[in-house]
Amino acid sequence: MKRRILILALLLPLLAGCAGKQPEPHPYTPAQDRRLVVYTSHKEEVYTPIIREFEERTGIWVDVVSGGTNELLQRIEQEQDAPKADVMFGGGVESLESYRDCFTPYICRESDHIRERFQSESGCWTPFSALPVVLVYHTKLVTAEAVTSWEDLESPAFRGKIAFADPQISGSSYTALVTRLQAGGGEESCLSALCAALDGRQLDSSGAVLSAVASGSALVGITLEETALQHIAAGEDIALVYPADGTSCVPDGSALVKGAPHGDNARLFLDFTVSADVQSMVGQRFCRRTVRADIPADPSLPPLATLNMVSYDVEWASRNRDRLLSDWSFLLGEVPS
Amino acid sequence: MTRPQSRSFRNRLLLSFLIASLVPMIICSAMLSRISQIQMKKQMDTDAQTQTAHLMTALDRVSDALPGAARALEESRLLPRAFTSREDTQINTALFLATEGSRDLADYSLYDLRGSLRYSTGSVTPGTTLSTRWGVLFAAKNAGGQPVYLAPDPMDGGKTLLQGAALLKNPQGEPLGYLVMALSVENFQKLFAGKYGSSNEILILNRYWHPVYASQSGLNDELADSLRSQLLWGGNPGAETEEYRLHIQEHPPTGLYLVLRQPQMFTQRTTKLLRAASLFCVLVGIVISAVLCLPLSRRISQPIGRLLKAFSRLEQDDLDVHVSRDGEDELGQLAAGFNHMVLALKANRQELVENQRELNQAQVRMLQAQLNPHFLCNTLDTMKWISKINHVPQVALMSTNLADILRFCISAEEFVPLSREVEVLNRYVEIQKIRLSDQFSFVVSLPEALETCMVPKMILQPIVENAILHGLEGISDSVIRVEAIQEGEDLLITVTDNGHGLPPDMIGHPYRRESTPTGHHLGLYNVDTILKKHYGERYGLYLDNNPAGSGARVRARLPLNRKEEKEC
Repeated sequence: MKRRILILALLLPLLAGCAGKQPEPHPYTPAQDRRLVVYTSHKEEVYTPIIREFEERTGIWVDVVSGGTNELLQRIEQEQDAPKADVMFGGGVESLESYRDCFTPYICRESDHIRERFQSESGCWTPFSALPVVLVYHTKLVTAEAVTSWEDLESPAFRGKIAFADPQISGSSYTALVTRLQAGGGEESCLSALCAALDGRQLDSSGAVLSAVASGSALVGITLEETALQHIAAGEDIALVYPADGTSCVPDGSALVKGAPHGDNARLFLDFTVSADVQSMVGQRFCRRTVRADIPADPSLPPLATLNMVSYDVEWASRNRDRLLSDWSFLLGEVPS
Repeated sequence: MTRPQSRSFRNRLLLSFLIASLVPMIICSAMLSRISQIQMKKQMDTDAQTQTAHLMTALDRVSDALPGAARALEESRLLPRAFTSREDTQINTALFLATEGSRDLADYSLYDLRGSLRYSTGSVTPGTTLSTRWGVLFAAKNAGGQPVYLAPDPMDGGKTLLQGAALLKNPQGEPLGYLVMALSVENFQKLFAGKYGSSNEILILNRYWHPVYASQSGLNDELADSLRSQLLWGGNPGAETEEYRLHIQEHPPTGLYLVLRQPQMFTQRTTKLLRAASLFCVLVGIVISAVLCLPLSRRISQPIGRLLKAFSRLEQDDLDVHVSRDGEDELGQLAAGFNHMVLALKANRQELVENQRELNQAQVRMLQAQLNPHFLCNTLDTMKWISKINHVPQVALMSTNLADILRFCISAEEFVPLSREVEVLNRYVEIQKIRLSDQFSFVVSLPEALETCMVPKMILQPIVENAILHGLEGISDSVIRVEAIQEGEDLLITVTDNGHGLPPDMIGHPYRRESTPTGHHLGLYNVDTILKKHYGERYGLYLDNNPAGSGARVRARLPLNRKEEKEC
């Protein structure tokens, strides 16, 4: 027995060496009031400069979680009881509108400078940029006269040659669909006509629309102005046209999450997204239209006032989303191949 | 009983050997590996501290260069002209002069208040602008003359990894333009070259832990991202992993963070190697222990086994046991002690027997003295003469015979010639014939060669008496034969009768089952005892029935002794 105790006594210092230490917060860890968690569906090249600049200006550490609009909104909804996110940055406003329960209304400091048509009635979202729906076509395969309006898409020449992303997946595709319906011709006939023109084909993501048209596998495509302009700037054989029978200009926006852990910093961020500095960069660098009235639009783009605008009802679009989408998938599946 | 004991003894010995050899080895190897681990960590920490200090000095050069150049430019009287004129060599000279000695660090450029590039030490395309509402110029504008350091938008695709900017003012304090320094990958590589270990990696993070520069491409994304999320989500970004140790230090003038990553010297592979080496040592220890232990345990257990065997023989009263000793060690001494003890025991036993015999003889002498047999003999002689005078020949014969027998009995000698014994036996038989009215005949067959054989006195009388009293009752023409023959070295005396024979329970050696003799056969028992005591266990009486017919046969076996037996 004594010998055993002796052996234990000899081994004890060895064992003691293995004992772990209590974890302490790292000395460089930023305080909670210097933090912000942003969920964003923007592309990396859009959110990175804005967030870096925000950090430098405010000294607030931003933690970015990026993903698809619907995915992030669902996540915010799931986390309602213990929200992790402070701000949802990005996503069409009708998407934000349909999750309005998850957000706290906030009227940003410079809301006076925001154009009337982009203002949120409820204040539950803050607009970021205006994104008209456009049609694109391959300049070598299609003449400019062939594509001018929504109705042109129903021409037999384009049947099965239209690039369109699944509106179930892509928020911008849904906006385009609603825009098409508002452009006239009756909801049901428009839906079935578009489905027939697609010939049952739709793409998995909005990004695929442009590559399909650029590669020539599709002749025309339906997308947002920003995306089209970026690809044109990259030198692809693509041209864009604003549908003569009506386009929409639904903004994307940001929203303050209800119960945000860093609410004050989130408000600073929302203010920053519509600040003149950011908004002027929105136009210069991202091929987007600013939502501010005091910043001159890109002179190379046709002013919104010259375009035929449908009356896009954000609330209606978000309310009828499920019904329209189920009709859509039904009709698309029914089209004889 | 001895085997398992010795085995367990051997096992215990082996176990002790193993413990004695392995425990210190295991403790030693554990301690060694721990010590070397600690030592290595210390070494790595020292290395990291030195290297970090060198790298910090390098960063200090960056943070010193910009304000120095800005001050030098502000002191130049040419400066205001720089933002109004184009391509003036004097201004270029001033710019190069101001940045002398630190141009290997970065390219320096002068931007006017609208953000247009005016002069540069590097090759920059003319017409370049920087936004004054964004990024480094915005920050410099708001810093009020203090230098600022920013990582430009990584999405821009430019070569510049870090920008420093300072607002330049005239002596009246009015802003004139900006001095911007731009560090590219090459600048960083040059700056840090030789200042850290070749196996280490460097990562520069900005104030908010976004990557600025990494000595190894790829480190930017994987390491910086994980460090940042660890920092934000309560992890310990400096924690060492299986593969790496990280040292993170802030450089306050630039707001940058330096991350030095050292690969672990004490990796899992080294641990495995050490473990394998320890295991090998343990195996060698086991083999050596077994090799040393087995002969030793045999050397110890064999003498002990011999000793145990000797003890068990001793328990069975074998006093001739002797243990061979093969050494002068403790076990040899033990064997010698045992032998000595056995000898002492034997001597002790003999002494005891001697004492007993002396005691017996003293008792006999006492009895002989008490009875005063000479008185009895003389009385019998007197009776013989009186009966002769009165013509009673039977009484005369009987008293003569009785006196002879009595004299024979009380004579001092213990051993007598067989002829003498037979003569006394005849006297006895004569008495009995008178008593029993001549009912039996007595035949003695004694070869002449055996007449001189020495036998204990009065050994035949009890046998014959037994035959007369128990065997011949109611039998006519009965015969008692006494026959002496030589059988090898033994003298065999057989007494046969033709009487009733012995009951079956008496066949064999007499009274072996009874410890104390009782009843009528006391005489036979005494004879047997006398023979055994005198000559040993293989001698004595043997009783059986006459195989050739009816009657008993008693055989006495004793050694053939022709001379006077010496008492032992």
